[in-house]
Amino acid sequence: MAPSDEGIQNIDRLIHEPSRLTIMMHLYVVESADFQFLQHQTAMTPGNLSSHLRKLEDAGYVEVTKEFVDRTPHTALKLTRKGRDAFKQYRRNVKQFIDKLPE
Amino acid sequence: MTKQNTLREIERKTYMSYHQDGLIDIVIGLYALAFGLGIVIDRLFDLSFASIMPAILIAIVLPIWIQAKRKITMPRIGYVNIGTKGSSKLFALLLGLMVAGFGVLFLFTMATAQNGRPVWIDTIFEYGMIVVGLGSAVIGSLFAYTMGLKRLHGYGLLTLALFVSGHFLSVPFEYLLLVIGSVIIASGAALLVQFTRRYPLQKGAPDNGAQ
Repeated sequence: MAPSDEGIQNIDRLIHEPSRLTIMMHLYVVESADFQFLQHQTAMTPGNLSSHLRKLEDAGYVEVTKEFVDRTPHTALKLTRKGRDAFKQYRRNVKQFIDKLPE
Repeated sequence: MTKQNTLREIERKTYMSYHQDGLIDIVIGLYALAFGLGIVIDRLFDLSFASIMPAILIAIVLPIWIQAKRKITMPRIGYVNIGTKGSSKLFALLLGLMVAGFGVLFLFTMATAQNGRPVWIDTIFEYGMIVVGLGSAVIGSLFAYTMGLKRLHGYGLLTLALFVSGHFLSVPFEYLLLVIGSVIIASGAALLVQFTRRYPLQKGAPDNGAQ
């Protein structure tokens, strides 16, 4: 296996998908946000955002808390410790991989 | 753009998006307006109302601002908790300004307590409006940089321009405060209208995070 192939193998594919990477980046810079805020920031449709969030939640990267505030549904989102660590690792791996590429 | 810069940009946009409603401008404008009114009332009725005005305003305006954020901003763009990283920069700035304020006060007290007041004190009093204007521009820029709100630079520069003009045209300090406060409130109100039009309230259940 070529060294560049090894680097690619280390990149977390779940995070690498552009929509999920956008979600991870937006949640990484805050403590927590709700669904509506994330939707505004990422400009994704509710269905698309919801589907990507489910995948991130299943991986244990995002904590989703559903509740009712003033009789309206409210979805609070937060990166878990595992999610934060995975994102940090993803950044390191992408950087390492790009740094190793020839000019 | 590197990933680090992208993250900083997202962080800045997140912070800015929460202050695009103009509410912070209205609060700043109310402070200037109320402080100016306090001085006018003091001059008219020989009171010392202006000195307690900041405390009164904190007690009144802060809860209104929090409620306005809950009732106007959050239902439209959602809720975000920036966390300690964003607020710690602002806290550090406020602390720094407080320390600087006490430092200046101490320096003034020490200098005026001595026999034969130093000339620089008289110079500062003579150009008091320009000094206040410069101070406002610097403080405005510091807040603009910390909060990522470029329009605060504008408010600082407006204050500087008005106070410099006021010094040369002999316009009383309190009237300038009333003008500055009104302009900032008007700007905040315009931003608020723009914000409510851009993000109208969604009827029914706005959160679509159901999975």
